[in-house]
Amino acid sequence: MISYLRRQASIYGAIAASVPKRFLAFEIWFWVGLVLGAIEMMILVFFWRAVYGQTATLGGLSLDQTLTYILLAQVFAALADQDLIWEFGYNLREGLIAHMLLRPVGFQTNYYVQALASLATRMIMQLPMALLATAAFGLRWPTDLAAWGAFLVSALLGYTALFFFHWILACLTFYTTEVWGLGVLVYGLTRFFSGGLMPLAIMPVWLRTLVLAIPFAQSLAIPLNFLSGITPVAEAPATWLFQLAWVIGLGVVSQLFFRVAVRKVTVQGG
Amino acid sequence: MPAIEVENLRKVFYISKKDPGLAGAVKALFRPRFDEKVAVDGISLRVEPGEMVGYIGVNGAGKSTTIKMLTGVLVPTGGTVRVLGRDPHRDRVANARDVGVVFGQRSQMWWDLALVESLNLIAKIYEIPAARYRELLDEFAATLELNELLSVPIRNMSLGQKMRAELAATLIHEPKVVYLDEPTIGLDLIVKERIRDFIKEQNRTRGTTVILTTHDLGDIEELCQRVIIIDAGHIIFDGPISTIKDRFGKYREITFEVAAGAARLELPAGADVIAAEPRTLALRFDRTQTTASQVAAAVMSQVDVRDFSLAEPDLSAIVKQIYNGALQEEAAA
Ligand SMILES: Nc1ncnc2c1ncn2[C@@H]1O[C@H](COP(=O)(O)OP(=O)(O)OP(=O)(O)O)[C@@H](O)[C@H]1O
Ligand SMILES: [Mg+2]
Repeated sequence: MISYLRRQASIYGAIAASVPKRFLAFEIWFWVGLVLGAIEMMILVFFWRAVYGQTATLGGLSLDQTLTYILLAQVFAALADQDLIWEFGYNLREGLIAHMLLRPVGFQTNYYVQALASLATRMIMQLPMALLATAAFGLRWPTDLAAWGAFLVSALLGYTALFFFHWILACLTFYTTEVWGLGVLVYGLTRFFSGGLMPLAIMPVWLRTLVLAIPFAQSLAIPLNFLSGITPVAEAPATWLFQLAWVIGLGVVSQLFFRVAVRKVTVQGG
Repeated sequence: MPAIEVENLRKVFYISKKDPGLAGAVKALFRPRFDEKVAVDGISLRVEPGEMVGYIGVNGAGKSTTIKMLTGVLVPTGGTVRVLGRDPHRDRVANARDVGVVFGQRSQMWWDLALVESLNLIAKIYEIPAARYRELLDEFAATLELNELLSVPIRNMSLGQKMRAELAATLIHEPKVVYLDEPTIGLDLIVKERIRDFIKEQNRTRGTTVILTTHDLGDIEELCQRVIIIDAGHIIFDGPISTIKDRFGKYREITFEVAAGAARLELPAGADVIAAEPRTLALRFDRTQTTASQVAAAVMSQVDVRDFSLAEPDLSAIVKQIYNGALQEEAAA
């Protein structure tokens, strides 16, 4: 058992380690991304300052709380990033799914490990944004270790749930050539519904209800609420359980979807 | 146990039939109609460990479809496939450890990684012991001349470089069975030669079983003793190359270098002059009617011959005859 786990760890560790190398192939995009990120951060800060010009609190949040949340959301934006739709679309178009089925590794596990490695890589690439948020916009980092703990567990669960959700969407690319459209649509929905532009607390009730009923917010808004102090740490266990339910539910459905979708390749021949 | 055992294998593709335009697309939603395409139609074959088999046929004959079913990527409509005793589709992961596949049209490598990074990753995935990996890497780098390419990302490689890299990546885990679907497509003669030598070497030293599809019969002649010809999903020939040559290489050519041309030649029945120039004389003869030595003797008794050569039966000409229906004609006769 132990040796089995060690072997698996070595295989998937190597797969994970290859991810940052592939990211490094796109140096220019790294710099472009930083500039765009900085501009977006600036716009959001000015926007929220202007909104608070009229009022001291919104949805029970002060300007300081909202700005902390928004800046943290910018720094941790990678939590909402998933590449599965593009990956599946590309691999299908290039006929590479067959190649992946010929590797002696678990198909979904392989992608999950890559998703975690992408997250870690993107977090490191976001470091300049963290510096900018701190130096230029006065982000005060939380010092409560319990809040960090609640955040990390919640972020991992939420990211996993989002991975399965994107997996389900990515399975649709087996049936459509409109991968680009689907990708852009999901990207747009993610931007809005992940809660990166606006704290959930400020949203009208109907909108918040909607956002909590779909998985986008699980990886960004929910964990960030702990880190920015909007949700008390005492509520963490209940939140984690709720997120775990998302993970299990979406995980099961994602497997079912894939089992059907992959027949497009294995039965219909792609 | 045979390396590959295929029994009555079939693959039918269903292609949805749509009338053109939006109306057609909508109609197809409600009443889908399908065209059937029988790509592989009941083939059976056995390949023993260490064999190198050429699998040939015209475009669309069903070669790639067969290979995909052998690899387990494509599920057969009927019949059975056993590779090293396993069902390659059901037993996907175990099968993957023991086989290697090259689809000549597509690279399996990580586009943005340097070749050596790709190979390192493959070594981990297939759990190749570190020392063994280093040995093989050295060996492959030498035979495939990869040394300068190791640090180059796949996306920056030429077609020939990519294919050499691809072969290294496919064989580095020492698979027992290797499927090569057009590994020499689009390559120059030198690269082809290198790749053939490499495959031959792998087969000789490790007993790798190889199934090779190609449109270049040079590949087959260099590598395979046995060839399987598929046409419209049926196997129409399965046997040694020499048998094909014997059966279909009815005509052979013999060329003489002569001091001076002769006005008239008396030749044995079945032999004809196909080209007569001042210094060379080319003849063709029907092997069922006469022999090379009779033809040569006849010519030499009449003209002053300096040198002569007998051309090997030309496999590609023979295969062309077979593709054009020579086998059916023979069966009918
Ligand atoms: N996914 C698919 N859906 C429908 N028909 C297919 C599919 N794949 C192959 N076919 C059809 O099956 C037949 C056999 O195709 P296959 O690719 O096996 O030929 P091949 O012998 O490899 O030809 P080539 O020499 O051109 O590579 C062809 O008529 C092809 O159009
Ligand atoms: Mg083919």
